[in-house]
Amino acid sequence: MAAVTASEAETWLIEKIALRLGVAPGEVSREVYFDELDLDSTEALILAGELENWLGFELSTTTLWYHPTIKDLASYLAEESDRRATAA
Amino acid sequence: MRPPRDRRPPVALEFRAAAAGRRTVYVVHPGALAAQVHRGLADALPEGDGLTVLDLGALDEYAQAALNGGRADTTVPALAGRLLAAMEPVRVPYTLAGWSFGGVLALAMTRAMPAERRPERLVLLDSIAPTEEYKQPDEALEPDLLLGWFAMYLGAKRGKPFGLGPDAIAGRGVDDGLPVVLDAAVAAGALLPGTPLPGLRKLYDTYVDGLLRNNRLTAPYRPDPAPLPLVLVQAERSLVPDDPTLGWTPLAPHGLTRYGCPGDHYTMLSRPDSLGVIAPLLHAA
Repeated sequence: MAAVTASEAETWLIEKIALRLGVAPGEVSREVYFDELDLDSTEALILAGELENWLGFELSTTTLWYHPTIKDLASYLAEESDRRATAA
Repeated sequence: MRPPRDRRPPVALEFRAAAAGRRTVYVVHPGALAAQVHRGLADALPEGDGLTVLDLGALDEYAQAALNGGRADTTVPALAGRLLAAMEPVRVPYTLAGWSFGGVLALAMTRAMPAERRPERLVLLDSIAPTEEYKQPDEALEPDLLLGWFAMYLGAKRGKPFGLGPDAIAGRGVDDGLPVVLDAAVAAGALLPGTPLPGLRKLYDTYVDGLLRNNRLTAPYRPDPAPLPLVLVQAERSLVPDDPTLGWTPLAPHGLTRYGCPGDHYTMLSRPDSLGVIAPLLHAA
């Protein structure tokens, strides 16, 4: 699978989170902590599963801890995706 | 980049403080549902009584195991010790109760505490006894059983309980059974339309890992009989609905009193009619 860019990951995350929150994508801040969003743990796990399916690899349980905003997570996902694409 | 931050909740969550001289109810909560599910119970207790939830999910060694394949690097007695420490300073008089796997922890707590600190009785809320006859190997937890429990859990978690037809998932396995659960959950409003199957699979796998964690913690635990009378409240749709004692008789030399309440294993914690059964028992204990 081709590597995902940080911009693509950010767009994906914002669209999915906006859908779950029932707001326009423009209303979802890239800088807000995930735990400040109005997502309950059920929605967060469903989103994580959808994200893993999109990326094609599993995420560590500590990923959201170390990358606690959309901007930080998208940057990490791009790095990890590139590393896996290069290694493949 | 914004730094990680520590948002770990406390183990002991005081939902309502007891008035001077009044009873405090401590409930051991094993996760799955958010600890806030007990807010309704706090409101259902008599005026002046307090409620503190002892949340196992706030203990890293327990919570992380549900996210790492269901293997916890701890034991029931060790977890009981953590909960006893979190209770300090204990407010007396008090009642100790445990829901589901929390009942196993509550039993271990009564074994670990000095006799003069024990409550009068231990209240078990739809908890399965940690006896050899009731322990199950992981492979005994078959998809039909797990998918049914998962649907029950999902409905309660989202505040939209839903049922599955009697044969809806029989023999289908997880891959074919989970879409049935997804369709039923969306139809009931428990999940948003368009919820993707891989997302629900992640939720299901985490749910099952939580069950496996509790199963594996219980397996090596060999409890002595309870040093106090037991009160068992069983939900109408219990995890083991056809068993009237859930295995507690051999652990109850000081007596086992049984009650039934409406709802299922999860909704029993929030339904007003079920809390109407549970709250007086906790007050009287």
